[in-house]
Amino acid sequence: MTTPLLEIEDLHARVQDKEIIKGFNLVINEGEVHALMGPNGAGKSTLSNVLCGKEGYEVTSGSIKFKGKDLLALDPEERAREGIFLAMQYPVEIPGVPTSTFLKHAVNAIRKHQNLSELDTMEFIKMVREEGRKLGIDADMIKRPLNVGFSGGEKKRLETLQMSILKPAFAILDEADSGLDIDALRVVSDGVNALRDGKRSMLVITHYQRLLNYVVPDFVHVYADGRIVKSGDKTLALELEEKGYAEFVKEK
Amino acid sequence: MAGLLQNVTLLGMESPWLSSLRKAGKDTFLQNGVPTAKVEAWKYTKPRELNADDYVIKQHFSACPKSAEIPFDCYRICFENGWFCPDESELPQGVEVIPLIEAAMFQPQTHKYFCGLVDLAKYPFAALNQAYLQEGVYIHIEKNVELKKPLVIINHTNSEQENLLFNLHNIIVLETGAEATLVEYYIYDGDLKSRYFTNVVNEIYLSPNSRFYHNKVQDEAFKADHIALNLVSAKKDSLYKSFCLQKGANIGRNETFVKLKEEGATAEVNATYIMNGWATLDTTTDIEHLSPYTYSHQLIKGVVGGNAKGVFQGKIHIAKDAIKTEGNQLHKALLLSDDAEVDVKPELEIFADDVKCSHGAASGELDENQLFYMRSRGIGLEEAKQILIDAYLDEVTTKIDNEKISSWIKLIAKENRK
Repeated sequence: MTTPLLEIEDLHARVQDKEIIKGFNLVINEGEVHALMGPNGAGKSTLSNVLCGKEGYEVTSGSIKFKGKDLLALDPEERAREGIFLAMQYPVEIPGVPTSTFLKHAVNAIRKHQNLSELDTMEFIKMVREEGRKLGIDADMIKRPLNVGFSGGEKKRLETLQMSILKPAFAILDEADSGLDIDALRVVSDGVNALRDGKRSMLVITHYQRLLNYVVPDFVHVYADGRIVKSGDKTLALELEEKGYAEFVKEK
Repeated sequence: MAGLLQNVTLLGMESPWLSSLRKAGKDTFLQNGVPTAKVEAWKYTKPRELNADDYVIKQHFSACPKSAEIPFDCYRICFENGWFCPDESELPQGVEVIPLIEAAMFQPQTHKYFCGLVDLAKYPFAALNQAYLQEGVYIHIEKNVELKKPLVIINHTNSEQENLLFNLHNIIVLETGAEATLVEYYIYDGDLKSRYFTNVVNEIYLSPNSRFYHNKVQDEAFKADHIALNLVSAKKDSLYKSFCLQKGANIGRNETFVKLKEEGATAEVNATYIMNGWATLDTTTDIEHLSPYTYSHQLIKGVVGGNAKGVFQGKIHIAKDAIKTEGNQLHKALLLSDDAEVDVKPELEIFADDVKCSHGAASGELDENQLFYMRSRGIGLEEAKQILIDAYLDEVTTKIDNEKISSWIKLIAKENRK
């Protein structure tokens, strides 16, 4: 039995005057992991920003439903509280804000929305420690200002930690493997796989097939020039690795 | 021009010596009046509206209630609607706090400190203040006495009477090796909408090796005006370290003039202002390095929203012989709206070689990407802004050495910020 979680229908979106997404269709059901692969400039990051409601991205037509609700009517924070999470390609540095302060605000904002009591400092620290240990994140790291001076690997591990403690219904991983060496990649993908519980859904956006060896998708889509041009199972990723994107880029 | 001097009758005590001080203030004020924008020091902050009204000095108020809670252990000195109220705080040995009028009338050994640092022609509101010299305290810390608890001067206003004028004049003397922390707290009752004017002069005398930590919170009613002048004379190896938070008043100005007179004297002047509506909040500093091996550091950070205007005028003067001195100054402002404004005027006057001097100014807005990052984790827009503003101000509020004062001031800075 399948329940649709995210339904994107004939989506068109632009940045300033440039149309980037041109008729995008995708349905992701509960528990499914989809990979979206495409060449640089295909509009992959635009899609993730549109899903999260970042300003500056204008949806000109089409619809996005999340749990049956009109996602486009919601502010970024409301989308996050509904259960959408974007693990960013370039996590933002915020000097002066300790990582732990940021995490606590985020956890409690989500808990409040779920009518759960806010965590006090002790409960929060305990939880972060437990989840952090699995990702090799120590107490010192979360005392530092958010992402400031973090290595590429530390930033991605912190994104994964956020995902583990916020427990979103739907996670978007935007180029989660960029800047990672093989050990860090393994830590991050173990973290991601631990969150695959048959109910949570994911959209893994990536240029390379490498990540998909670790986070194995149920479906693979090729994204080029603002729309999905081919869909298949995980073998499609291997095919792309071999042949590249040339044939799809030519199609336009 | 003489609006501020009309309809005022002084009651209370007088002596020929006190009368002549008052007369000098009055004569200068009558001659110079309220400064206009033509006066360089008042180019950005325009107090001319003060002319329009006849301000009143009220003589008697009923006994003062516990006006404001201070959440840390301290010695309280209370003023209610501009008038001194005796408090039961018991002072340790070596510390004297005397109402100013008592010192003026009965303690001639204090007279040498009265208005010794005031330049009447240069400071128009100090002239007004001196014309009504009466309220305030004389604080004296004996040699090598280190005050463990902070002194807190609470200036509480709750009168709905319009156009009250409060002239407060404090004299603070630290003898050799003494150390003290002072907090000045200007606060009003909840929804007070009356217009009043608080006019403060602090004269601070720092003997060799003394250390004075001067903190201030200006949280006056939104229609009130607040103009304060801090005059500091710093001798050998003494430290003057100040922090001022301004968030109240219609026009607020905190001006600090430090003379680093002898080797090893240091001034650290830090401040922040947080404002919206139509307010003008002004931080003006003037540090004179008069001796070699003197040091000054200034960090001022503002948050300006609405149609408000922040003003920073900062001067560093290094005298001809003051070699090996260091003077740094940095002003930053965060603009939260399109109509918010900051006017900044740094001035360096360097007459000596072999000195280290720097100044800088920057203004910016909240970072969209940082806000989005937090919102994408479920944190609401207002909360996200608050987090960024707190982080922005943290750099300056952490400069307050006393942790209890620092966290108290951080809380006040957060209240009602929109």
